[in-house]
Amino acid sequence: MTVNRRKKPASVNPMKIGQSLGAVLALQGCYRAMPLIHGSQGCSAFPKALLTRHFREPIAVQTSALQEMDVIFDANRNLEEALNLVLSKHRPDIIGIIGTELTDVAGVDYQNMLKTYKRERNMRGGLAFSVVLPDFRGSLESGFSSTVEAMIDEMIQQVGHRGSRSVNTRQITLLPGSFLTPADVMELKEIISSFGFEVIALPDISTSLSGHLLTGFSPLTRGGVPLDSMLQSLQSGLTIAIGGSMERPARRLHNALGTPYKVFEGAMGLKASDELLHFLHQISGEPVPLRYCWQRENLLDSMLDAHFQFAGMSALTALEPDHLYSVSGWLEELGVEQKALITSYETPLVAGMEREVWVGDLDDAEVLGKGADLWISNSHGIAGAQRIGAAFMPAGFPVWNELGAYMSVSVGYRGAMEWSNKAGNLLMQREAGHRESSVRHR
Amino acid sequence: MKHSILSEGDEEPMDPVRKDEFDSEACGSIAPKAKPCPRPKPGEAAGGCSFDGAQITLLPIMDAAHLVHGPIACAGNSWESRGTLSSGPCLSQYGFATDLTDSDIIFGGEKKLKESIDYIAERFAPPAIFVYSTCVTALIGEDMDAVCKTAAERIGIPVIPVNSPGFVGSKNLGNRLAGDALLQYVIGTGEPEPLTPLGVNLIGEYNIAGEMWDIEKLMNSAGITVTSRITGDARYKEITWAHRAKVNMVVCSRALLGLAKEMESRYGIPYFEGSFYGAKETTYSLRQMAFLMNDREMERRVDRLTEREEARLSQDLRPYRKLLKGKRAVLYTGGVKSWSVISALKELGVQVVGVGTNKSTEDDVRRIADRVGDDTEYIPEGGASRIIKTVRERKADIMIAGGRNMYVAMKEQIPFIDINQERHKAYAGYEGLLRLAKELTYSLANPIWKLAASPAPWDKEAHPYDR
Ligand code: SF4
Repeated sequence: MTVNRRKKPASVNPMKIGQSLGAVLALQGCYRAMPLIHGSQGCSAFPKALLTRHFREPIAVQTSALQEMDVIFDANRNLEEALNLVLSKHRPDIIGIIGTELTDVAGVDYQNMLKTYKRERNMRGGLAFSVVLPDFRGSLESGFSSTVEAMIDEMIQQVGHRGSRSVNTRQITLLPGSFLTPADVMELKEIISSFGFEVIALPDISTSLSGHLLTGFSPLTRGGVPLDSMLQSLQSGLTIAIGGSMERPARRLHNALGTPYKVFEGAMGLKASDELLHFLHQISGEPVPLRYCWQRENLLDSMLDAHFQFAGMSALTALEPDHLYSVSGWLEELGVEQKALITSYETPLVAGMEREVWVGDLDDAEVLGKGADLWISNSHGIAGAQRIGAAFMPAGFPVWNELGAYMSVSVGYRGAMEWSNKAGNLLMQREAGHRESSVRHR
Repeated sequence: MKHSILSEGDEEPMDPVRKDEFDSEACGSIAPKAKPCPRPKPGEAAGGCSFDGAQITLLPIMDAAHLVHGPIACAGNSWESRGTLSSGPCLSQYGFATDLTDSDIIFGGEKKLKESIDYIAERFAPPAIFVYSTCVTALIGEDMDAVCKTAAERIGIPVIPVNSPGFVGSKNLGNRLAGDALLQYVIGTGEPEPLTPLGVNLIGEYNIAGEMWDIEKLMNSAGITVTSRITGDARYKEITWAHRAKVNMVVCSRALLGLAKEMESRYGIPYFEGSFYGAKETTYSLRQMAFLMNDREMERRVDRLTEREEARLSQDLRPYRKLLKGKRAVLYTGGVKSWSVISALKELGVQVVGVGTNKSTEDDVRRIADRVGDDTEYIPEGGASRIIKTVRERKADIMIAGGRNMYVAMKEQIPFIDINQERHKAYAGYEGLLRLAKELTYSLANPIWKLAASPAPWDKEAHPYDR
């Protein structure tokens, strides 16, 4: 349908997150990686603090620490210094240089600089790439997918000269979108591999940001997909992308290597899960594992139990585009009225949605969603939800008011069930609160 | 050869601070900017930008609107990230941004800024609007001062430009630039109501986790009033009359020392530096206030109060002291000054075996040296690995640092206490010290440390040479 915007000059209570943060997130899913933000200090300190707050994990990131004069005279001198230091001190396998609005506006050409740098130092074996991500375009989601795309590009180039490629039809490359939690990625890997496939997730935050105890501190990422698996993924017989934003990286693999791909735009709810499992069943020729048949029953049963709770209820959802699409599909199945759908920026996926979508901020959510019973957004929405008297359900990024949010599952039958129960519980508590206060006021 | 403290000679075994920072005029004050702040090291830099620092100082003005002029990330990634609390208005918790796009940057964002200011003024009716520049708006040469000036005339409320784009330097510099903005545009522009009793300005106390409230309560029970809070839980108006205060107290915040100095020379208000961490420091600070107020009766009241409070505290602390005695801590703070926390820990019997000096000035280091033993290790610069190394080598029992290092400590299974901006516990004053003692005890005694350290039962069965 249409994508609307409310007319107002300033952004009030923004939900948009800088693209560069998405890039840092993507790189956390690669083993022994170092995202290097080419910009001023704050541009790496804020994302680091925010990601730490959300995942409750240390986050690997560095900066070229530009200061005013560096920007004006020679920003790449700083980048070179940073590269020298990071390479000699930590020896990362993967290094992603993330250009910011600062280098963009100043017109710094770090792409070429990186090329020369790699040639001069005779850099081989690792993966070093750059990506242009000014914060005045896109949001977390686009930063994440662009980074995955740049990473794939670099991988293709690196193995490109090694002759023909043998295709492993039992191996699938999974491209999980930025809105998936570590537990989601884990769940997807399990689902796909239960049909007898090898899965390589790119990136794989399920093994880096899922909270594991690894002693021996390193400023690099500690977990995620290792470089050799990444390169091996080029042999996969199929790419599965989750989220519309991941189509471009999938297409990149297709164009360069001929790897067929399948995009699942939605990942939540009965229908989306049915589609995924049916597809896997068809391509593998394997029966759907019993446990998913069970989970499907469980989900349907819990939806029946919960439907009393959702009857006549309305929700407002303010999330990144892919996530919004996914959650909206799930709400549809619950029969909840969707009062307002707000997202951070326009993508083809949300533009093509059947419902009306607004590009805006959490203030718009408050205005457009007035009267909603359930408010779904990142933790910045708590105050707004309180003001309009809606039950608050944290989702997306960042979430800091809940322990273990990063481990909650939303995909598959299990995820849909978890979310339905959670939303239903929130509404039930809210109702109880209302009842109590009405008794008190009598 | 006698080395000056600035030299890099080998005689200085620790070289505790980068030499540029010895110039106390560099980051800590308003007066001559002879030397710039030290350049952060690319590839090894940590910490926020000046824009961040300016926000830290000004966001606690709770009833004002704070508008960030730039692309979304500067505001989008930073709003609602501080633990500063409000006792009333909360407009300052709204995230306002001009959210510049490609075309705004090509054609200039001044029009959008102007419209944003008008919009906020009309819809939220704040007593004032602070407008922050960011790297991009500074780089493309937006004339923010002019836009703010005409806007203020047009809408009839103060619109204050805060020129502290991230790339000019460190967080500390940003604190200072925010102080400059207050001096230039706010302080001295208003008058208190006639019957308001005048007293002390608290400068650099940000009401993290509500610490300001504990402090105010103490001051009030000694009959000392707070004239302006600069800026924890402040209202815009009270800062306009800060020049009428009788005393300025700079609460462990060197970056705002310049503000106090300038107020001394402009308005003749005496100032002192103090802290509320630890009973001794708290007592000292209260005494100092009364002394500078030049009020005998007040001094007597302070003496009575502090005696009573200290006696009660030492009673309450007894069980915790027993448990904490001889425990070893590594302290790595950002915003809160190390020396004052050291005093607090010492009073609890906790020995500080390692201390970060990355943001300390020469004076701070001297104060630290006064308070710790000779074998305390100074950690001159950041990096989690360096801190952890110190914890291990010095056999520390606990790490006390900022949130940035919290999860690093968790991975290493080191008990941890958060001391910086984002924390949720108030540690100031006598009450605060008791709270700190409790927190330390809970943290050290938690069963998780034993559980996490012991292997799974099937791993225990393995022969040692297998592993
Ligand atoms: S360094 Fe500049 S662009 Fe980056 S967050 Fe700070 S003010 Fe914004």
